[in-house]
Amino acid sequence: MLTPAPWMPRQEGWAALPRLPQVLGAVLFLAVAALGTHLTQDSFPEPSGLFLFFVAVLLAAVRFGFWIGIASAIAAFALFNFLFVAPLYTLAIAKPGDLLVLAEFLCVAGLTGFLAGRLREEANAAKSRAAVLEVLSAFATDLAEADEPLAVEQALVLHATSLANGPALVLHDSNPDGSDLQPPDLQAVERAFRRHTPQDAAEPGQQGGRFTFLPLMQQGQVVLVLGYHRLDAQRPDRFARAAAIEVICHQANLALERLRFAQAAEDARTAATREQLRAALLTSLSHDLRTPLATILGAITSLRELGATLPPAARDDLALAIEEEAQRLASYVDNLLHMTRLQAGLAPQLVWVDPVDVVAAAVARARRAFPLVEITADLPELPMIRAESALLEQSLFNLIDNAVKFSPPPARIQITARAQPATLTLSVTDQGPGIAPAALAQIFTPFFRANPNLPGTGLGLTICHGITSALGGSLTAESPVADGHGTAMHIALPLPKAAA
Amino acid sequence: MSKPLILIVDDEPQIQRFLGHALAASGYDTCFAATGQGALEAVAAKKPDAMILDLGLPDLNGKAVIETLRAKSSLPIIVLSAHDQEMEKIMALDLGANDFVAKPFGIGELLARLRACLRKAPQPEDILRQGPLVIDLPGHSVTRDGAPVHLTPTEFDLLVMLARNPGRVLSHRQILLQIWGPAHGEDVPYLRVFIGQLRQKIESNPSTPDLIRTEPGIGYRWMAD
Repeated sequence: MLTPAPWMPRQEGWAALPRLPQVLGAVLFLAVAALGTHLTQDSFPEPSGLFLFFVAVLLAAVRFGFWIGIASAIAAFALFNFLFVAPLYTLAIAKPGDLLVLAEFLCVAGLTGFLAGRLREEANAAKSRAAVLEVLSAFATDLAEADEPLAVEQALVLHATSLANGPALVLHDSNPDGSDLQPPDLQAVERAFRRHTPQDAAEPGQQGGRFTFLPLMQQGQVVLVLGYHRLDAQRPDRFARAAAIEVICHQANLALERLRFAQAAEDARTAATREQLRAALLTSLSHDLRTPLATILGAITSLRELGATLPPAARDDLALAIEEEAQRLASYVDNLLHMTRLQAGLAPQLVWVDPVDVVAAAVARARRAFPLVEITADLPELPMIRAESALLEQSLFNLIDNAVKFSPPPARIQITARAQPATLTLSVTDQGPGIAPAALAQIFTPFFRANPNLPGTGLGLTICHGITSALGGSLTAESPVADGHGTAMHIALPLPKAAA
Repeated sequence: MSKPLILIVDDEPQIQRFLGHALAASGYDTCFAATGQGALEAVAAKKPDAMILDLGLPDLNGKAVIETLRAKSSLPIIVLSAHDQEMEKIMALDLGANDFVAKPFGIGELLARLRACLRKAPQPEDILRQGPLVIDLPGHSVTRDGAPVHLTPTEFDLLVMLARNPGRVLSHRQILLQIWGPAHGEDVPYLRVFIGQLRQKIESNPSTPDLIRTEPGIGYRWMAD
């Protein structure tokens, strides 16, 4: 749809018609020649005057082109004959040799004017081609660097402006708001969008728009319309420039298409990752919700249906299994809810919280869940922080839960705190085997499990990480802590200035 | 006579725990395995009378366990699976599992399936009875409350196949292969039509059948007593 036209001017050739200033210039040359001949005719022989007129005709032909050259030649012959050739002050030709002079004048003027005009025209064309090529090359560079549609559009406007020597603009719909286009131009924009065809500006002095509009099409749709102010009709290279603007539109369209494909590929990749996460979450949900439920339902029906035949120890054990699994479910549901909240992007509700209280709550919950694990938390008095205590407690509990899971019994977990001027760090340290360096980089990735044989969802640390980020802090893992074993997880939270 | 030994194959300790108590109280001996490989070894070493097998095992897929076992043994296998793993259940049954129970389940349901699987294959009888229904095999006749029921030969074969497997699920494929032959293994809609006709003739209330129960997506089960 956008084909580059040959960039050669179609008018304004060597035979271009003269304009008034050029005519006046030629008259001036001839007048100077006549004056010079008149002043020197007494001291120099006749041919020198003829020579001056030759020079004037030559100059007029070189400077102003073919037609002026011819006109100057006739005028020079007439003037010379009238002023300096006997009989004076008549146009009568006394000697046949004078006719030869006229023919010489005409030949010289015509040939010179033709050659000079061609040369000038080629020089101009070369200059304009160079300018156009410069813009095209600069535009190609800009496109290669453009990594978003906006950058492509900006480059398009910039270079269209320099090619058009006037304002250019990019439009995305047929009712542009806030542009200072005139009604005829707005109608042209509307036509460009509706008909999918370029809309040329009206010639100067005629009715119609001042802008030319070129639609950029992709898959039968107008993606945008480039408008540029009509080119100066006097410029000999305006057709080359119009064609160059079509070329950069074409290139911009290709660049936009490339970006669109890149974006589509990126979207597909993101969707695939999200799909993977969703599948992993579903697997996790189905396993981690069902297993406790299966145990609870199975144990309860066993108690109800076999109650009399079960020995007391078995009954107690079934009741304990129900309690444990119900707690596991509750913890899992808590985590799921927190994760859903974080993913939904809900901001935590920050209130003043004493970190010692939160740690105590998390430790109490962990001691209920892991009665055999030794959990110590000797905390100094700490400054208050801004946090949501349920989230922070969940985060600490997950860290303890994780530490217990990876510690061979008898597990010992230590919780420490350190207040610095701007940061409060809460650390959960275990004496387990530590985390392998390869796994250390991945432990916050959703559904990553360092040891897939252990029960778990691969969500605990991900949620901790999400929670601490939501609270404005950070979560880091350190392993090994000492002698090649042990892991410390550090929650760093910002200390508000008022409390520091 | 010693108690039947049940092998419980599940990687979840909590499931093993309650199944152990429940089966012990119901008069079974139990042994456990947590992996597919462990299950195969336990079958060889302990010669259990039946196996309860979770389909989602960490090492070997439960289906692979069934396939390996079925090559050399007719050990009754009850499969534990999640509700939405319909395809898994069908494949397990087609590979030779005897029955399935969907998690989560009440203990009564599992015990009933276990009893049905352990029931000694009855001697081929000439007369099968189920409630008001009497099936006379040599005579190719069926009566309901003494009144004759007219069945086509195919309907009769279908009824006999179901009634000979009381309490056990029969997959669509199993039924289709046996009654209609290898060319019709996938003609489930066809089977549904025949089951509908059969229910019209033998069920007291065909819209809420209590002799032939549908296992949605899987197959049919003859409800014994």
